[in-house]
Amino acid sequence: MARVGVFVCFCGANIADFVDVPAVVEEAKRIREVKFAIDYKYMCSDPGQQQIRDAIVQHRLTSIVVAACSPRMHEKTFRKALSDAGMNPYLLEVANIREHSSWVHQKDKKAATAKAADLVRMAVAKSIANEQLHEISVPVTKRALVIGGGIAGIQAALDIADARIPVVLVEKSPSIGGKMAQLDETFPTLDCSQCILTPKMVDVASHPYIELIPYAEVLELDGFVGNYKAKIKKKASYVNFKTCTGCGACWQKCPVKVPNEYNMGIDKRKAIYTPFPQAVPNKPVIDARYCTMLTKGKCGICSKVCEKGSIDYKMQDEIIEREIGAVVVATGYDLWDPKPYEEYGVGRFKDIITSLEFERMVSANGPTNGVPVRPSDGKVPKNVVFIKCIGSRDEAKGIEYCSKICCMYTTKHTILLHHKVHGSHSYVFYMDIRAAGKGYEEFVKKAQVDTGATYLRGRVSKIYKKGDKLMVRGEDAQIGQVVEVEADLVVLATAVVPNKDNPDLARLLGVSYDKYGYMSEAHPKLRPVETAKAGIFLAGCTQAPKDIPDTVAQASACAAKVCGIFAGDTMKKDPMISTVNKEFCSGCQNCVTVCPYGAIVTEEVPMGHGSKEMRTVAKINEGVCQGCGSCVAVCRSMAISLAGFTDPQIINEIVSI
Amino acid sequence: MKKITYFPGCSAHGTSKEFDETVKMVMKSLDVQLEEIPDWNCCGATSAHTLSEPLSYALPLRNLVLAEKLDNTTMAIPCASCYQRMKVTKVHLDKNPDLSKDIGTTIVDEGTYQGKIAVKSMLQYCYEDIGLDAIKARVTKSLAGMKLACYYGCLLTRPKAITQFDSPEYPMSMDHIVEALGAKATEFDYKTECCGASFSISNTEVVIRLTGKILEMAKESGAHALVVACPLCQSNLDMRQPQIEKQTGEKYNLPVFYFTQLMALAFGMPEKELMFRKHIVPVEGALAQIGKIEPEPEKVKKPKKAVEAESEAE
Amino acid sequence: MITLGLQEKNTLLTDVNKRSGANVLECYQCGKCVSTCPVSNFMDFPPREIMQMVKLGLKEQVYLANSTWFCLTCSACSGRCPREIEIPAVMEAIRHLALEENYTNKSAKVKAIRKFHDIFLDMIRRYGRSYELRLMVEHNIRTRDLFKDVMLAPTALLKGKIPLLVKPVKSAKAIRRMFKMAEKLEQKHK
Repeated sequence: MARVGVFVCFCGANIADFVDVPAVVEEAKRIREVKFAIDYKYMCSDPGQQQIRDAIVQHRLTSIVVAACSPRMHEKTFRKALSDAGMNPYLLEVANIREHSSWVHQKDKKAATAKAADLVRMAVAKSIANEQLHEISVPVTKRALVIGGGIAGIQAALDIADARIPVVLVEKSPSIGGKMAQLDETFPTLDCSQCILTPKMVDVASHPYIELIPYAEVLELDGFVGNYKAKIKKKASYVNFKTCTGCGACWQKCPVKVPNEYNMGIDKRKAIYTPFPQAVPNKPVIDARYCTMLTKGKCGICSKVCEKGSIDYKMQDEIIEREIGAVVVATGYDLWDPKPYEEYGVGRFKDIITSLEFERMVSANGPTNGVPVRPSDGKVPKNVVFIKCIGSRDEAKGIEYCSKICCMYTTKHTILLHHKVHGSHSYVFYMDIRAAGKGYEEFVKKAQVDTGATYLRGRVSKIYKKGDKLMVRGEDAQIGQVVEVEADLVVLATAVVPNKDNPDLARLLGVSYDKYGYMSEAHPKLRPVETAKAGIFLAGCTQAPKDIPDTVAQASACAAKVCGIFAGDTMKKDPMISTVNKEFCSGCQNCVTVCPYGAIVTEEVPMGHGSKEMRTVAKINEGVCQGCGSCVAVCRSMAISLAGFTDPQIINEIVSI
Repeated sequence: MKKITYFPGCSAHGTSKEFDETVKMVMKSLDVQLEEIPDWNCCGATSAHTLSEPLSYALPLRNLVLAEKLDNTTMAIPCASCYQRMKVTKVHLDKNPDLSKDIGTTIVDEGTYQGKIAVKSMLQYCYEDIGLDAIKARVTKSLAGMKLACYYGCLLTRPKAITQFDSPEYPMSMDHIVEALGAKATEFDYKTECCGASFSISNTEVVIRLTGKILEMAKESGAHALVVACPLCQSNLDMRQPQIEKQTGEKYNLPVFYFTQLMALAFGMPEKELMFRKHIVPVEGALAQIGKIEPEPEKVKKPKKAVEAESEAE
Repeated sequence: MITLGLQEKNTLLTDVNKRSGANVLECYQCGKCVSTCPVSNFMDFPPREIMQMVKLGLKEQVYLANSTWFCLTCSACSGRCPREIEIPAVMEAIRHLALEENYTNKSAKVKAIRKFHDIFLDMIRRYGRSYELRLMVEHNIRTRDLFKDVMLAPTALLKGKIPLLVKPVKSAKAIRRMFKMAEKLEQKHK
């Protein structure tokens, strides 16, 4: 005879405000098999768990139902409580009366209570049919894949590699470094971005545990945590990196000029190029879109000047495979295109630029030797208007969220302008100054005092041209008056948006992403670096807009998570997986087709006892099966059963209500 | 020959007679027959919606119902204000059928609203339905030499959800039309700033301030004249111009044409019939620019190789 | 000084939201409307301040402000509002609510604006169409500013800009019915 214990949680006010918890307990007590039922304010807390442990012993319980939040939240917690009391942890059932009842039926307490009672009744019925299950061990491939070679990817790769775990770092462009390599100085300390970043880039290239694969993309990822297989496309660089010395003769002589991405198109690069002088690896690639040898079969100059004979116009893309155990996604961000701001004349007025364009101009290694100039006439601007929240916090034109970094980098830009252009003046149109971070508010104050920048609280409504000036009109809400600033240059602090490749990559990896395209963490507070897919982690702006300190912190957190997975030679895995009853299996292989994980293969078994004739049946790979149940649903001979969700369990649930 | 429903609006018989007349001339020459709504009434203009919401829908509704009876698919309206009131009513009624029942009972004699006719401003009709190619094809006397600041005002392209036409901030349809006529449209940043509209009589001070800035910016853009598609804009910019000049001490000397006047001119119609005499600011100076073409500044040619690659890189 | 927290429930906010179909609570006070508005400097309170005052429930000040009368419904503000608030609809809702609750701004400018609209509607009631000369003359008489624009009139008349006669709408009955219906619906609001 089953003896079930029911534990109903208040979850503070989360459940108790909308579900009559004591009434649910009373309902539970009426079930024949329930021998013990109780409520508690926080069942997940230690005293809450203690009640479960005590009741198991005192009342000789055979299965446990906890009615609380989603099992995704605390199933593990309660399973452990069962183990501690000497009970098989899989005899636990969680009735989710928070997400499934109290949170979604806040307007009708009576109905929410009735639903909660039903959920408990179902869980009790199911638990009666629960069987004792045991964790499975699977072997682990101790190698990590890091996607993206910006500061997030670099930090994650270095931290993992320093723990002597091999890392494969895949970067889309010809060099690692990412957006940080484009920055001049960094807030709030104004240390030079290149000086702190480039040594790390060199460390990546020379680290014995890091395999750097630049100019490449991940095409496929199969498998599961600890046992992934990645297919990587190495794009044809048309340069043999093994023999190339990086002398630069090729790009110096190349006659084809194209806009230079590294400098935001302000100057030109060649069709064969290294993105910037400090690039890692410091080897050129040929941009096949523009090289006239590749598009029209004419030129060949680079090949002629290369003393090492490293140019190979016939080079093809190459697909390589790597076995890996965990993935860190660090794809960074893009900047929002401000074109929708028609009222500012974006696209019509040359002297409206974006912040990253300004950053390149004031950079020591930038296209204008560190001095900002007006794109229209090349003059050095005196009055510069900085406009914040371009696209950010603008549902009409851009996105709803705050991009988090613009307040700080605009502050930095006022300082850089002050340093680089004598007699210049900054005007900053802002809505709020968001300077939450270590040393940030102090930085803003110092900048305001030192530069004397004029801060105007209001969104700019219009920019128009008067002579060679741009007239920038906005309200200064602090004095309640409309002001117009005569500007030589206008700098737009454009919003941070996710890397445009994120949705495709997320689908390929099997992780979810939000409405903007940021990849989703498993829990916004408690699991900020994990995804819902085991073994895949997020670092930096792949997950949300972040500044450099936060990005680096998250990247190191990813590294710790990866090292955690690789701590033993095997990994424990939930036993909720499918098994095939070979007697019943007809060998139709429908299950093989539907399995999204490729976990089902076939095997030959004798037709009967001692028979020599063979027949084909399905076989589940324990390590690969994720317990989704698709095979169970399609099996016509009912030969497949999913542990933890067996037919008797499900039927019990249905019959109970 | 195409046939469309035509709503001239009250000002067509008064301040904007030249708009009405030239619309008729131009449409005839483009093979479009205008069928005027019989016994139409005033759209209610700003006053109706200022004081009474129900009235602001009822007055245009009667016109819409009468318009639908004519069995054309499209109605074109020269006056921007009439167009706006009619389109607002149409969009509102199409979204809230109950309202059309409520208000509709007052005009039972005329019939019931079906919601089947497309409501367009005359500018929109010329740009979308007639098209630049057809306009270009009719030009016999190019306006080359004239530099024009196209002024749209508020009501032709705003609010976007109502008008569904061109850009609310920097529209180009009229610019494209005058360029099709051979003239040059200037870069004019005040093309959608409000002129003060109905305050012309009740709050002249406002209108003088707003139109003054518009004239200043038009002058700054290098234009010889302004082009409009709205009677209220025209009368504010033209009739009030001497007053503004007196106040600011600036001399603008910017005649304000309806775009259809210029179409008619470019189509080779006799100047006498285009009612230029009704303008307060004399038009002669601007018209004299026709034919005076400045040579384009020659571009410095880059070495061919580099240019080629750049154009591919764009 | 305004003391908050002692008032009754803020019905102004709910009234304005309901009538306008907008949600004033969405306003985050960026001020883009103020510098967009061509007439904000003629207003007692520019749009951004009106929004905040509605949130605070300052009914009398909001209803008596000239702002709603100066709004030209040019829709420039709403077209640029980052939160897509229909500001002209909010202005119109406040104006209608104030009219219904008999709040009257007594300044000469608002009086002139109101008078203009009254005369205009009167004319439509009578003729079904507007009649510009009459509008100008009547407005000058009723605002006791007899010689306003008198310098313009001769030129305008001479140039045939302003006709002396108007052709009234034949179906006067329909027009009258519309006005009656409108009055009835407005009564219902009160």
